[in-house]
Amino acid sequence: MFRALDPDFAGVAFERRDAPFLHGLGSVPKSGEEFVDVQLCHHVSCSARTGSYRTEAGNRDRGTSLREMLDRRLLLVSGKGGVGKSAVSAALAIVAARKGKRVLALAMVGPNGLAAHLGVASLSYEPTRIRPGLFGASVDRSHALDEYLGLQIHLARSLPTRQLSNAISVLADTAPGIREIVTIGKPIFEVWRGEWDLVIADAPPLGQLQSYLSAPQTITGLVPTGAVREQASRLESTLSDPAVSSLLLVTTPEELAVQETREAIAEIDTGRQILIGGVIANRVLEPLGVAADAIAAIPEGPARAAGLLHTGLAESQAVWLESIPRDTRLPFLFGFHTPGEVAARLADILEGFM
Amino acid sequence: MSRATHTVIVTGAGGVGKTTISAALAIRLAHPDHRTVVMTVDPARRLADTLGLRALSNDPTPVPGVPGLWASTLDATASWEGVVHRYSDPDVADRLLTNHYFRAIADRFPAAQSFAATEMMSTMIEAGTWDAIIVDTPPSAGGLDFFLAPSQTADLIGGKLLRWLTGAQLPGRRFLYRFTGKPLLKIADTVLGGALLEDVAEFLLDLRTMYERLAARAATIQRHQQRATTVVVTTADPAPVAEVLRFFEELTEVSITPSAVLLNRALPLSWADAAARPLRGIPDAELRGVLKANLMRWGGEARRQATAMEGLADRYGVPLLTVPWVAEPPITVENLANLLDDVEGLDALL
Repeated sequence: MFRALDPDFAGVAFERRDAPFLHGLGSVPKSGEEFVDVQLCHHVSCSARTGSYRTEAGNRDRGTSLREMLDRRLLLVSGKGGVGKSAVSAALAIVAARKGKRVLALAMVGPNGLAAHLGVASLSYEPTRIRPGLFGASVDRSHALDEYLGLQIHLARSLPTRQLSNAISVLADTAPGIREIVTIGKPIFEVWRGEWDLVIADAPPLGQLQSYLSAPQTITGLVPTGAVREQASRLESTLSDPAVSSLLLVTTPEELAVQETREAIAEIDTGRQILIGGVIANRVLEPLGVAADAIAAIPEGPARAAGLLHTGLAESQAVWLESIPRDTRLPFLFGFHTPGEVAARLADILEGFM
Repeated sequence: MSRATHTVIVTGAGGVGKTTISAALAIRLAHPDHRTVVMTVDPARRLADTLGLRALSNDPTPVPGVPGLWASTLDATASWEGVVHRYSDPDVADRLLTNHYFRAIADRFPAAQSFAATEMMSTMIEAGTWDAIIVDTPPSAGGLDFFLAPSQTADLIGGKLLRWLTGAQLPGRRFLYRFTGKPLLKIADTVLGGALLEDVAEFLLDLRTMYERLAARAATIQRHQQRATTVVVTTADPAPVAEVLRFFEELTEVSITPSAVLLNRALPLSWADAAARPLRGIPDAELRGVLKANLMRWGGEARRQATAMEGLADRYGVPLLTVPWVAEPPITVENLANLLDDVEGLDALL
């Protein structure tokens, strides 16, 4: 009834065959239920260019893996909705710019989160300068489509590009792969442009990430010949080149976020669309260093309640932290009011790790 | 005689605890003499276990240990298959269900999962066999998609794309031949390579035959939504709060007025004041120091929460209910039942 998702991993990861959504970690199957080990693709034979996350980057020193991610040309940042991926994207962009790089921070879906963390009111399709070395932009689909068709596929000027892109714009709402390829295309075009040392893309949340990462393959599967197909294979090879591109997964030490992160690691280790450069656990609570019993023994009141809340949450987090790679951890930030303050603080912390 | 169903829609951004709150509300509403159902979307495994959800299924199953409560978890693909069978002719249904564009839409069109959820909610209301239905919603577009999906889906199917491609209001299959003759499409076809557009158009023609029936259905679904009690769940973090604001702005378009905003993982503001006073009654100096520093951090966070939420609910004239942040994850029936114990104003809502 159960199959192990990843037998090498510490802890127990499984999914129920009869109910694939009932998957998780940390629990042992009830007695009497079958437990079958299933080898994942990367243990057997995978021929793509990127390696398995664990074998190549998994347990590396956090400073090294952070530096390596910033030294490549493209960094995609993803995670379950609500874990702080825009904050981490902005923080890493700030760090890279401080280190003297010319950086583009690019929001792939919905500019609001990244804009707020970069401390600007909005982001536009055209990169704008935020501070020395740091530029911000956001992908909006109709502009991206124009660029995809006009600039990248080199349509002859005589063709009615505007009309054509209107047609394809509505098509993009229906045909699989087009919305995604145009969106994943933008950060890669920016890398090709050669104007930036580093493009950091605040990527779609994990639930949607796969359809973006696989968009080039989807297109090559659907379109037998032509410029679009050629373009798609070029995108695919930039994305999967471990010297150029990597993916950072952000999570929080909670059940759903950890579960989705582990599923993403397994899927990408299998699909090999991009190198996983690292995993960041965000909003981690450090243990107080005093026993819960000692706290429980003091008189009722806010100090006891806050102490027990912290201890309880930290204990529960520790369980989930066990089942993700020992990579970078960022602390829970108390009392920070604005997204801009959060990003600046995270940038200081990350810089300290490097 | 069918029962009058009380429906509560629980909406909000991803990660704020919608599914947990839905389960807690359902356990609170459940009564052995009544029939209550909670429709969940993508529950975490441990919560799914508590609710007795063994497989992805739209059919409610009894929740162990809670008499009168059933639970289901959204199977969007099955819902869409149901929609196709109900609203199209049998031969069209067969073609659609095997078409890979249809599968792509049912799986990936952002409003598709939301539409499936609204369709399931309506089916359960119309069954007339439930006293209360608690509806957890997909997180897409901060929960907005759940309310916009009926009209968006009708628009997609009634489609401007199809009209543009065929130039006809109600095209028949023979228009396909004319369609492939349009010069602009020849260019598009060259760029895209192969028969992509033709495939899509053929698929859309089939989808188009469902339009009248589906548009009527969308109108019925919207009436069900307007009659329901809508609760918006948020945390005090900046991103979900921004989603709540957007939600209220855009909901007026579909004539929905939420009944309450529910602040999840709330901290008592009294901690902020207590942090400013000396700690008494802890003889051990080290323990006192640790707890004082801890209270100052959490008190600061409580103050930040209060500032973030200030005026949010007043602004739209709805009550703000607060659910405390608890150390023990609310995943057992007992913890879920206790979660809403001290929430003021909750019973007026239910």
